[in-house]
Amino acid sequence: MVELQNVSVTYSSGVDALNNVSLKINDGDFAFVVGSSGAGKSTMIKLLLKEIDATSGVVTVNGYNLNKLKKRKIPEFRRTLGFVFQDFRLIPSMTVYENIAFVLRVIDAPLKYIRKRVPYVISLVGLHAKTNSYPDELSGGEKQRVAIARALVNDPQLIIADEPTGNIDPELSYEIVELLKGINDQGTTILMVTHEHDLVRHFGGRIINITGGEIVFDEVISGTSDDILPEEELAQTMAQVSGISTDTSRIAIPAPPVTSTEDALIDEVIAAITGADQDGGV
Amino acid sequence: MKLSGFKYLANQGIENIWKNKMMAFATFCVLLISLLLVGGSALFYVNMNSMILGLGNQNEVAVYLDPSTTQQRVDEINLELQKMDNIDTVEYISKEEAYKRMQNQISQGKAIFDYIDGYEFMPDGFSVTVIDNDTIEDTTAKIAQISEVQSASSSLQVAEFLRELRRVVSLIAVAVIVALAAVSMIMISNTTKASVFARREEIQIMKYVGATNAFIRTPFFVEGMVTGFFAGAGAFFITWAVYRSVFRILMEQGTLMRAFGVGSIIPFNKIQLWVALAYLVIGALVGALGSVVSTRRHIDV
Repeated sequence: MVELQNVSVTYSSGVDALNNVSLKINDGDFAFVVGSSGAGKSTMIKLLLKEIDATSGVVTVNGYNLNKLKKRKIPEFRRTLGFVFQDFRLIPSMTVYENIAFVLRVIDAPLKYIRKRVPYVISLVGLHAKTNSYPDELSGGEKQRVAIARALVNDPQLIIADEPTGNIDPELSYEIVELLKGINDQGTTILMVTHEHDLVRHFGGRIINITGGEIVFDEVISGTSDDILPEEELAQTMAQVSGISTDTSRIAIPAPPVTSTEDALIDEVIAAITGADQDGGV
Repeated sequence: MKLSGFKYLANQGIENIWKNKMMAFATFCVLLISLLLVGGSALFYVNMNSMILGLGNQNEVAVYLDPSTTQQRVDEINLELQKMDNIDTVEYISKEEAYKRMQNQISQGKAIFDYIDGYEFMPDGFSVTVIDNDTIEDTTAKIAQISEVQSASSSLQVAEFLRELRRVVSLIAVAVIVALAAVSMIMISNTTKASVFARREEIQIMKYVGATNAFIRTPFFVEGMVTGFFAGAGAFFITWAVYRSVFRILMEQGTLMRAFGVGSIIPFNKIQLWVALAYLVIGALVGALGSVVSTRRHIDV
């Protein structure tokens, strides 16, 4: 669970990055965080990772009061989270297997468990054939799936995904979000920051819009992903994407826009997002 | 941390040397050069000191007794001298022995001995060497207080010069070693910093997945230690080869060089164990600490 109570962050430069923000994301939720560059999204992520401290207010993540969390307890806290970054952040000198196993090494997990768990997670993201590949040998989409597997391997309560589709081809973005949705279905809370309007429109769900350091919109909206591809066609798409076949029965593709009052509402939200492609990061 | 966890981290450290071989090689070279500079200076100083001490040992106190001293009293004085502080060796030189030595020394003008009637005019004496050359003046004065002693003399100027020489050499050596050690530390620090900087993202990723500082630092520690150990071993073999060659060349110069105290150069086999230990331990320690300290800047995320 994530809870922000009247949280403000003012940087030493005097910039107010977050202004009296209150927010609660319950266990098992899937929430998109949207907003323009400089809106305060990155600051919120940094707060949740305990990279920075709130100037005022209370930040609680997975039962940890981050205001009171001692420095030596930060590793313990971070083990309850999974992160997915826009730039993947895989260790280049480690193979896919090693990158994922590393998270379990950190918590001193038994070797037997690591040997069982890591291949399982790799198969979940459909990268079994790339187990011994190095990050440099993978495509953007594959790297992000490794990052998701790494975030997932420790069975975290919450996964924070910061622009996870920002560095990959648009057609692969849906696949990545589907993967996150699948993880969410298993009970893991997902908080995903994104700029991509189509994704938000397509998947719907809880959408939190931050503008000027304040939450200006926080509603649950239905998505437009009603159309499921025929299984054969989907398998073909996946094969193009990753070169392997996976269980794709749950994966959807973007549906053509539908005119409805709900869609008008989504448009309204998207209009509030200024439409910048890159997050400068405040 | 479990033993298996430590083994994993130690393996990671060793694997990292291979994975980052260029940076590891740079660190190895810098450590090797630093160890050679400091170690070479230290060995040079130790040998200079030994040579000066060697020269000092030749500076003996010449003791001459009153010619009327009885043999019994000569023996008593011999024992008395041996019991005195700061006395290393006491060699009795009889009238006869002194005469023979004089004959040998004056090889060019042997004719003079035709005019000398036997050795009876020579005094009995002692050649006394002291332990601490710095206090030879006091020892000489004490010997002179013995009533039968007609004269006790030492080359005080030589002793004074050698004392001053040792002081200057020690000062220069310490200054050079400290300066070289400081320069070496800067070089090592910069190299390890560069090595760690190249992997700062890796460190940050480790922090994000909940690794403790100890978990992140252990492979760096092992990596630095192993690199430093090999640099120490390399420095030892280079020192061994150079030292032996220099030693052999100097020893071939014969008596003339011995006169300058070169005979006091310490043979390498007498110090090789200490040299090896110093190189390996200091190499491993500096390598490990340099590596770990350099992670500090990037670990705080």
